[in-house]
Amino acid sequence: MLLLLFRLSFLSFFPSLSLSQHFAPTGTKPHQRISVSLNFKQRKQREEKRRMMMKLDTSGLESFSAAVPSAMAAAEDQLFAPPSFDLPAGCADFDKFQMEAKQTLKHAKGTTTLAFIFNQGVIVAADSRASMGGYISSQSVKKIIEINPYMLGTMAGGAADCQFWHRNLGIKCRLHELANKRRISVTGASKLLANILYSYRGMGLSIGTMIAGWDEKGPGLYYVDSEGGRLKGNRFSVGSGSPYAYGVLDNGYRPDMTVDEAHELARRAIYHATFRDGASGGVVSVYHVGPNGWKKLSGDDVSELHYKYYPVQPTPVEHEMVDAPPA
Amino acid sequence: MSIFEYNGSALVAMVGKNCFAIASDRRLGVQLQTVATDFQRVFKIHDRLYIGLSGLATDAQTMYQKLVFRHKLYQLREERDMKPQTFASLVSALLYEKRFGPFFCQPVIAGLGDNDEPFICTMDCLGAKELAKDFVVSGTASESLYGACESMYKPDMEPEELFETISQALLSSVDRDCLSGWGGYVLLVYAALLTPTEVQEKILKGRMD
Repeated sequence: MLLLLFRLSFLSFFPSLSLSQHFAPTGTKPHQRISVSLNFKQRKQREEKRRMMMKLDTSGLESFSAAVPSAMAAAEDQLFAPPSFDLPAGCADFDKFQMEAKQTLKHAKGTTTLAFIFNQGVIVAADSRASMGGYISSQSVKKIIEINPYMLGTMAGGAADCQFWHRNLGIKCRLHELANKRRISVTGASKLLANILYSYRGMGLSIGTMIAGWDEKGPGLYYVDSEGGRLKGNRFSVGSGSPYAYGVLDNGYRPDMTVDEAHELARRAIYHATFRDGASGGVVSVYHVGPNGWKKLSGDDVSELHYKYYPVQPTPVEHEMVDAPPA
Repeated sequence: MSIFEYNGSALVAMVGKNCFAIASDRRLGVQLQTVATDFQRVFKIHDRLYIGLSGLATDAQTMYQKLVFRHKLYQLREERDMKPQTFASLVSALLYEKRFGPFFCQPVIAGLGDNDEPFICTMDCLGAKELAKDFVVSGTASESLYGACESMYKPDMEPEELFETISQALLSSVDRDCLSGWGGYVLLVYAALLTPTEVQEKILKGRMD
């Protein structure tokens, strides 16, 4: 713990990495730091960085009710002003407290989702289990979120985070359609989401999502996460069960599959992940995104799939653990 | 995750009319990854005494080997099998010997004592005995198991009904736990009037996710 504290204050020397700068409230006593002398230029850069970092993209949190313009401006000022609050009682080291608070909220991304592009479009599949540590809180969570009739998003990480920001993305996409009289591209939609998530970077959002859709350029697939990453690709799998899903998916993938073959591949990949991974299970949902939008292909209970793929034999001997023979 | 949740397990034992049943899940995992789906957690000590060990799998296996050793010595000296109550005290003592560096396992003991009276008990990892007249549970799914057993249990059940009850309780509880399940194993022992004790072992078809 001591080592961690030292590293934190060490990091505050470098302008880009300071957590404490992000959250230093105004009007309170600054916490202890090892002092160092910076030259004038470095100090100026730190000030600017601090001012830039304070401006969050809070457009996602605005309500869209029609308000009197002057009131809106006043409200906006309040939104953009840096937050000012008293430190919690008995909290000598605010940085450490922040880190611990974020750790408790950090949900391991216990899930399996996958998506891949092939000649006939995009297949998106996911399991349906929500777990809190070892406890299964639900076996019937909808992890494929329908952003609009031709775009899908997958959920991995914090359920509330994913649901809220996907719905927010849907709103933004619709506004784009109304403003520009044409549908937004998958590239644009994923960029919108990625930029919003980047501005909340370090604040504890947990989202590992894939945006899949069909636009004018054909099928599109992007991976976007709460660390601010955004990747374009042909095959992705996200979540704690993703290594198992990748094994099956990478083995069976061919770009010239039929829709049925792709459907079965996705279903099998998720099934294998639910078998091996404790945090994935429930129901496999498979969607297909074609030129006319998405369509749900199937929702199969994973347990029934198991007994369908591996019917019960009279005397199975899978692996036998035998003790060493007595001397 | 704590050390007790490293491998994952679920164990339950129930008492019926002149019979008892002990059931476990079959998963062996390394945290979230499932490594085996046929892991044995319920072991035989002698014809009328069984022990199930939940918690860390390596400690469960070692505990079992130590107990078999001690029971074999007992058989040689006393020329008879151990009574379940005596065996429970033995397990408790062995666990408390390691008070400051314990075995990370929680045993569930089930057996038929004098006059074919069923006996069940469970312990924590330090040997605190908990005798019960109806059911005992142990493992990562223990909270779900408590709820399921509490609602499904009736006193003085016949063997067939006891088997149904314990299977349903086990399967519905492990379906709420990420770390246990992948099948079930039930062992039912009942003292019949004319023939010696009958033992039924069954493997349950459960959810494999």
